[in-house]
Amino acid sequence: MPTGRSSSAGAIWAILRKECRSEWRTRYGMSSALLFAVTTLTAVSFVTGRIVDRTDILAALLWIVLVFAALASLAHTFVREVEGHTMTMLRLVASPTSIALGKLGFNLLFLMVLEVVTVPLFLVLMGGPPLHWGRFLAVMGLGSAALAAAATLVGAVIAQTRGRGALFAAVSLPMLLPVLAGAVSGTRGQWNGVPVDAELRLLAAYAAVLLGMSLLLYDHLWED
Amino acid sequence: MILRVLLFLWLAAGMIAGFLWAPLVPVLGATTRVFYFHFPVALVTTLAFGWSMLHSALYLLRRDLGHDDHAAGAAELGLLFCVVATVSGSMWAKAMWGAYWNWDPRETSIFFLFLIYAAYVALRAAVDGEERPARLAAVYSCIAFVAVPFLIFVVPRIYFSLHPDPLFNTRGKPDIDPRIMLVATWMFVGLTALFFWLLSLRVRLGRIERARQDA
Repeated sequence: MPTGRSSSAGAIWAILRKECRSEWRTRYGMSSALLFAVTTLTAVSFVTGRIVDRTDILAALLWIVLVFAALASLAHTFVREVEGHTMTMLRLVASPTSIALGKLGFNLLFLMVLEVVTVPLFLVLMGGPPLHWGRFLAVMGLGSAALAAAATLVGAVIAQTRGRGALFAAVSLPMLLPVLAGAVSGTRGQWNGVPVDAELRLLAAYAAVLLGMSLLLYDHLWED
Repeated sequence: MILRVLLFLWLAAGMIAGFLWAPLVPVLGATTRVFYFHFPVALVTTLAFGWSMLHSALYLLRRDLGHDDHAAGAAELGLLFCVVATVSGSMWAKAMWGAYWNWDPRETSIFFLFLIYAAYVALRAAVDGEERPARLAAVYSCIAFVAVPFLIFVVPRIYFSLHPDPLFNTRGKPDIDPRIMLVATWMFVGLTALFFWLLSLRVRLGRIERARQDA
């Protein structure tokens, strides 16, 4: 670990490793997110039955399950630092930007693990037309990137408020609506076999703009 | 005092002119009249939220709590105008389209604006201290500023492609009656003045409260 404040790739990598290690020790965030996803999925599947040909509803349900399961845990990375009083220490050894990028990388990994479990389960329980794998994976990847970028940024804001958990969903929802719109439309499009280029461009542009905005704003977030 | 009376008379004159002087548009019939209220209010809503974002960015640059008073006040007042615009537009939609709500692009964008600023106000309320709520709210305002163009311009294009544009477009043709434009502009000027008057009260209130706490 370098002694000065550093925003180098090394610092980002160290933060990412530290996040993974502390998550691995308790597995609290991941297990609660997975349980949340599985319970929601069970409830959805139980009440709707098999609606194999309704790709519009299937796409919406898939992303709603994913987004809310993710919301239950993505703010966790910053909240844990504040509640454990370790934020000050972390800021002594790394710049706000590298902390943020490290945590963004962790959230992205977290989402991927969540999706690797949830999406196959969703496809098994709910069915649906055959996937167009290339388009489906592109929508999933870019959708997760945009979701992680929005949730990490809002999580950093939320961690400094009272009643963090309750506020997170409400405050991040407006940021997530463009992601939801693009991802749902793209998922439905690949099932129906139509091109999803417009949706992919929307998701990529949104993720890129959010990331750029994050880099500008993180310095203002932690000052006291 | 005299200015407030003038503002009241100005708005009253606009309302009366909307009912008695300006003509009705053929397709819209009597629902034309909501235009003199709904359209200026929606414009003032956009103006208020724009004002809030501008002052949030200025706050982050200059760290002057006066900018924060402007940002918070404009957001709160903008929410008020936003509700009025949404409700009046919704009543018009019931009369013309047969449903209070059908996710038309305009309805979508104003509803998203409402969500963002409701969250902004909730966020401010949940942060302790004097400087910190201002800073966090300003950061949130800047993030929201990223989402707004996507919500208003991009998402309706790819997502609600079946919905028609509102009737404002067909009415926006050059043959619109000048009296209608005059009354709408008149009301816009009046309501903008109302907004800035209320905002100045809110800003003064913020300054007084801070001075009292410092004393």
